[in-house]
Amino acid sequence: MTVPASIPTRPGWRRHLGRSRGAIIAGAVFLLLLGLVDWVGAGPLTYFDVSFLASGGATLALAAIGQTLVILSGGFDLSAGAVISLVNATLASHMDPMAMDASVPLWTLAGIAIGCAVGAFNGFFIAVLRLQPIVVTLSTMFILQGVTLLVMEKPGGMISPSLGAFYLGDAVPGWLPMPVVVIGVVLLLWAWLKGTRFGTALYATGSDPEAAAAQGLNVTLTRFLTYVIAGGCYGLAGVFISAQTGSGDPLVGNPLLLSLFAAVVVGGTRLGGGQGGPLGTVFGAYVLMMVVNILLVLNVSAYYSTIAEGTILMLAVLAGSLSRDAPLATHLRALRSWASARAAGTLPSALPATDRRLRLPAGSARTATLPSYLSRHAETLRFAIPAYVCLILVVAVTQAWLGAAVFSWNYWNALLVLSSFLAVLALGQGAVILTGGLDLSVPWTIGLSGILLAGIVNGSDAALLYALPFVLILAVIIGLANGIGIVWLGVSPIVMTLATNGVLQGVALLYSQGTPAGFSSPMLRWLMTGKLLGLTPVVLALALFIVLATTLLGRTPFGRRVYGIGNGLRAARISGIPVERTLILVYVLSAVCAALVGVMLTGFSGQASLGMGDDYLLPSIAVVVVGGTLITGGRGHYLGMLGGVLLLTALQMLLAGTTLPYATRAIVYGLVILGAVLALREKRSH
Amino acid sequence: MTLSVRSLLAGAAAGALLLSGAAEAQEKHKIFLSMSYIGNDWQAEAANMVKAMAAHPSLADKVDLQVQVSGPNAQRQIQQINAMVQSGANAIVVFPISPTALNQVVKNACDKGVVVFAYDAEITEPCAYNVHIDQEEAGRVTAEWLVEKLGGKGDIVAVTGVPGTSVDDLRTKAAKEVFAKHPDIHIVAEAVGMWSQAVARTELAKITATRNWDEIDGLWMQAGCFTANAMQLEAGKTPEQLLPCAGEGANGGRIQMLPVGTEVEGAAIPYAPLGAPRISYASPPYSGGLALKLAVEVLEGKEVPKTTILPLPVVTNDTVKLCQEGTWEEMKAGCNVFQPSLVSNPGWFASIFSAATPEIGLNAALVGQPEG
Repeated sequence: MTVPASIPTRPGWRRHLGRSRGAIIAGAVFLLLLGLVDWVGAGPLTYFDVSFLASGGATLALAAIGQTLVILSGGFDLSAGAVISLVNATLASHMDPMAMDASVPLWTLAGIAIGCAVGAFNGFFIAVLRLQPIVVTLSTMFILQGVTLLVMEKPGGMISPSLGAFYLGDAVPGWLPMPVVVIGVVLLLWAWLKGTRFGTALYATGSDPEAAAAQGLNVTLTRFLTYVIAGGCYGLAGVFISAQTGSGDPLVGNPLLLSLFAAVVVGGTRLGGGQGGPLGTVFGAYVLMMVVNILLVLNVSAYYSTIAEGTILMLAVLAGSLSRDAPLATHLRALRSWASARAAGTLPSALPATDRRLRLPAGSARTATLPSYLSRHAETLRFAIPAYVCLILVVAVTQAWLGAAVFSWNYWNALLVLSSFLAVLALGQGAVILTGGLDLSVPWTIGLSGILLAGIVNGSDAALLYALPFVLILAVIIGLANGIGIVWLGVSPIVMTLATNGVLQGVALLYSQGTPAGFSSPMLRWLMTGKLLGLTPVVLALALFIVLATTLLGRTPFGRRVYGIGNGLRAARISGIPVERTLILVYVLSAVCAALVGVMLTGFSGQASLGMGDDYLLPSIAVVVVGGTLITGGRGHYLGMLGGVLLLTALQMLLAGTTLPYATRAIVYGLVILGAVLALREKRSH
Repeated sequence: MTLSVRSLLAGAAAGALLLSGAAEAQEKHKIFLSMSYIGNDWQAEAANMVKAMAAHPSLADKVDLQVQVSGPNAQRQIQQINAMVQSGANAIVVFPISPTALNQVVKNACDKGVVVFAYDAEITEPCAYNVHIDQEEAGRVTAEWLVEKLGGKGDIVAVTGVPGTSVDDLRTKAAKEVFAKHPDIHIVAEAVGMWSQAVARTELAKITATRNWDEIDGLWMQAGCFTANAMQLEAGKTPEQLLPCAGEGANGGRIQMLPVGTEVEGAAIPYAPLGAPRISYASPPYSGGLALKLAVEVLEGKEVPKTTILPLPVVTNDTVKLCQEGTWEEMKAGCNVFQPSLVSNPGWFASIFSAATPEIGLNAALVGQPEG
């Protein structure tokens, strides 16, 4: 790569190295793990082993390349796993089981075309209609899961052996496995694409869409094409997994989703866009798959495996941040300069406390009358109201179809009780999202809290008095761990909270030995299932919670700091917001909310079970976004999120009361979410 | 690095990791357990029973068992099984995440002489051994019981398992075929229960928000009858008014089947005898332990059929019987539900008896200890 002579400070190769540091470190971690497997494993690695490893990680790597492009452009794609399932199901159900030598190029193109079509769907809503990527792709995910089940309702079908022979075979027998070539070709295509106008526009859009638009780049087209190309990558991954498995399974791709994000982040690509690239991602994907082999050769016992996995994930990412400008180093330097300032007595707190504020001419500040309520809150209302409008529609349909909604006390009571879990989660997840982060440790914070509470309480109301504080203090510690890892060690929120989730799962398994004991106390059960003045008591508690949550986010310094950070980290820091402390507190808040939900679920079900929090991760994100919160931070209101909670719960209640097949329900669910956010379109003028 | 240095280092590492010595390993069969998702009660219980089986005196000298978890991701299980083959497995016992996605890797393992046993769910690759119940029978028997209980007439609620899996598809279709033969049986609401008591509760709460308990005559659930009975009590029903429920083999649900007034230790409503009208079936968690035992038999050269269909454990109000201690001998005499004081988790799966596995009893399922 040539560098203009006018930048003399760093030679070209060093600049280039610096830019691809993420990829280099991911590659180094990969080689380290490979060496470890080779070293501890039963025998030296043969070509055969390498070939297996290459095919094992290829699906993840191919799909993660697509995800990388989306993230580079500043987006987010939750539909990737669903596309893989759809392609696999479509291929397996449409190939002729008798044709042993189906055309490889034809079916590969078919898979890529399906992916591109889904990408175009995503791209249309995100680039052209300017909806938030996370919620569009979440809807797409639900819709695709439904469509996949319509294509193939259970595992089966047949993939022609010719595909397997091609994709799992050797490019050069004994030297080069085919999966490596496939990934290499995709990377070469990317290298070419990166040099074109589109490549430049992709990075520019991800770094700063407004600046890119000001430079005359077509941001809309760039985003649209990014989703289409990414869809093609998922499609190719779907073709590969079909070749690898030789058959179809409508659920095969769905669990890959979180691994995809982890692969991208481990590979050195920054969430939020503009920095990184697919090469690092490929190494990241293989690092994740190698963990399986590492756990095996080290004979890590089953209950410890999620802990070990989380630790490896964190170490891999931390290894990438050991440099002068890493957050940890920066913090240490800041600490040193703070200490020397303290010694010299030049800290602000050590200076004499005189009033140094500017003297403004008296009376000029507060003469203007406040604008009307509506115009002051127009922005908030515009983003919060669509969820409530859709809620009214769903309730109306429930009334018309099932004949029991509007005039039934029972319906509203059930709606509020079922909403209470997500309403509490929405505060924590919402605050995290407002600062531009994401908390993926919610599921096992819920699970561990519930299991611990049930185990300690064991049916006694008296024990609840100390069990509840214990669980909440534990949640504070979990939140502190998340926050400190993110703020001080500079680990990306997705990786940090994903690793924490794994550790918590391990702790829950070790504590319960796989069989959670104990049950909820009568008081807790009464709170969640009893009756007080015709209402379930938790509904009253929910009302109190809503008031507190709205006040916390809207009327306290903490709340204003959260919005400040979301609107711009640097600006917030310069304005004197204690960014570090606030960020850590946000993760503490999220963990405490999740623990509360664990307690509530234990009361609701009467006992705790492993995995009880698994179903709450994606909904907790969905309700926040449907309620009008901007996923990149800074905009949103708790009452809007509450609208999202009520809408999704009411919709589920409507669907549960019918006998529609699950596939249809998933499609309806996705479409309603998409419809609800259509009203949240960003205006064209920035 | 030269080969000799490397093997020296590898030896040191192996010693440091307390792997079993080379001489000993040659005599023992190296068997791996590849579990899928460990984060639910059934999986943990099944894993306990596999571990207990391996620890039983009759097998402890023959088997070197390593347990690995792949998570819910079929890709990782493929990689894991490959790694197991590479590290010299003699047999692999696997809970397959997908009945089809593992076919290629299992075939490859078979080609290398590795014995592969799938438990509970199925692997369709012909070289694999399968140990599971007849899922269609489970759906049919439970549906027929419910139809008979309702006298062929009534509005029922169906709560299914995980959509898109073969097990759910087979059970639900078989049950619906039975219901379709009785035109007066109407499925008025259908929910996805994910085989979880917690999910069953939220789904039933959604259904009863728009439909009163009085408007329902019976329940067909793949899991969740314990929860459904608890919810009816909360809604003010008396034990005599509980709806007939065809469902899973959780210990809590079986305790509820005992006649009101039966003396049990540690009972507390709703985990108490209620005389609830029930049929309780199960996909028994001992299948993993049995698979391990059969795998050793295959390694020792015995003939084992490729498919072992387990007898469907079915318990009704007529056959439910309380165990005092839960030994295998006691279960052989016909008891099939355990004291709440011993099993404090009502969602725990009680169908742990098999005539073919005298090595494992209640302690195996609870804490991984074989019978003495």
